[in-house]
Amino acid sequence: MKYINRTIRILVFTLMLTLLSSLVNAQTSTVELPSETAQFLSSHLPGYLLATQKCMICHAADYIMYQPPGQNLEQWTKEMLKMRNTYGAPISGLELRSIAAYLAVTYGSAKETDAGVIAASKVLKPVLGSKLDATEDVKQLLTSNACFDCHAIDRKVIGPSFQTIASKYKDDSQALRKLATSIQTGGRGKWGSVSMPAMSNLNSPQDKALAKYVLKQ
Amino acid sequence: MDGPSPLVRYPGKRELIRVHTRPPHLETPFSVFNEGLITPNDAFFVRYHLAGFPKSIDPEKFRLSVKGAVKTPLHLSLSELKVIAEQVEVIAVNQCSGNSRGYSLPRVFGAQLGNGAMGKGRWAGLPLKAVILTNVKYVAFNGLDKPVFQSTTDFQKALDIEHALSDEPMLAWKMNGEELPFLNGYPLKLIVPAYFGTYWVKHLSEIEVLDQPFQGHDSFFMNTGYRLPDNDCMCVAPETVAAKTLPISTLPARSFITNIKADDVLQSNSVVELKGIVFDSDAGIKTVEVFIDGGQTWRSAKLGESLGRFSFREWELPVSFIKTDLTILMVRARNNQGETQPALATLNHGGYRRNVIENTPVNIV
Repeated sequence: MKYINRTIRILVFTLMLTLLSSLVNAQTSTVELPSETAQFLSSHLPGYLLATQKCMICHAADYIMYQPPGQNLEQWTKEMLKMRNTYGAPISGLELRSIAAYLAVTYGSAKETDAGVIAASKVLKPVLGSKLDATEDVKQLLTSNACFDCHAIDRKVIGPSFQTIASKYKDDSQALRKLATSIQTGGRGKWGSVSMPAMSNLNSPQDKALAKYVLKQ
Repeated sequence: MDGPSPLVRYPGKRELIRVHTRPPHLETPFSVFNEGLITPNDAFFVRYHLAGFPKSIDPEKFRLSVKGAVKTPLHLSLSELKVIAEQVEVIAVNQCSGNSRGYSLPRVFGAQLGNGAMGKGRWAGLPLKAVILTNVKYVAFNGLDKPVFQSTTDFQKALDIEHALSDEPMLAWKMNGEELPFLNGYPLKLIVPAYFGTYWVKHLSEIEVLDQPFQGHDSFFMNTGYRLPDNDCMCVAPETVAAKTLPISTLPARSFITNIKADDVLQSNSVVELKGIVFDSDAGIKTVEVFIDGGQTWRSAKLGESLGRFSFREWELPVSFIKTDLTILMVRARNNQGETQPALATLNHGGYRRNVIENTPVNIV
């Protein structure tokens, strides 16, 4: 009975307030966050490019810089397993080993010459290397750079669909240049709160090839 | 912690210590705790978990849904919430589960926080029980922040029904007499006095009443994360894993010196006023004792006025140092249930719930 009375009380208030609330004109509250300056330390290990592309979808690079120093390859690998298995990061088993090797060398106690680091880094070189050129199939670029983790052609996934991007830029004569730059340097604030990581491993013809493909959709 | 911690300015905040840029994670500089017992809104720490945090909220359109095992689901606007029950107020400490994690030895992964992921606010709103119109078993809470991938778990928390229907949990829209700062959960925040900050869900938008324990993909932060070993010390031996765990819950007793920093230089043979703060979950502080010079005795400090059982309380003690030397100041609290602070830090995998006796090395000249 107590609960029923309370329900009725709430419903009566709801009615009374429908009128009242239309008279109150509270303002939308917004926040603009300071720009993100933290960057991963560069390295020629393949895990570096993967880290910039995958980790920064969900968090800034200072999540890594702020971890305790001196962690070894095994500890960083466990941490990457947690990122994938617990937090759902879009990284394959091979990718996570490669990222862990880069992090353990750059921010931890591992050495580039450690057997474990070499083994974990080797696997990915052919797939991720920046030797792809624009003559190769754009689809391969899309796949090897994990574009489809966040984008689809015809619907929003994490980022906007390629069709939405194409329609936004359809009357812009600078579209190709702008989009190629966004691919190279990443984007922030144009499509919502999630940033697009920089695809800095791509060369200029590759950026343009991808931009052209997206604008055609 | 391991290098310079840059200060940054975020909307609605003074310069705070940058822990993570995105999602925002900011720590309060420790000097703030020497300035008063209430932590100002612009100095209060900020902690998000998910990349999809809200950046714009229209208070007109904001709704709190109460759903699940209820007869009539509710979708309450802020103006409706404000008149359902009489506004109540509580002064309570909000402390992050991982506060002080950066001091863990061996080191553990996670945000390497100093001691500033805590604060005390005066929260005003309505009792949670005013919107829970049933007495089934559990209540889960969700805010407007979202993961970016479906594979990532949402940030949701749960309380059992006895706790949810008790006088303590509150739905707050005011903090220290003002609207909640955006980054502390505007426009509505779950306040769970005596409990760690992980339960204090920001931008609270959904309450789900459950007739069975909270489970599933989005229960990660109750059922896997934010848990402690289920034993008396809530701790493990180094390199071991707890066989059983339980969700982190209430704040242990902690005490700090706030007016002296590590490596400060103090004068011998003159009176030095030591001052600090102390708190526990809600049993109340019985004594604060200070150890100053490698001598044999702990000296009792004078406790300041109590602003309520969930509040920081001040302590002070005039001391004078006889020998010129390097020495360590220590402070320890004991609460009314006999709980005290350990001399050695207890270990757990997440670096949670640290409450070891604090050491402050100083130089007496």
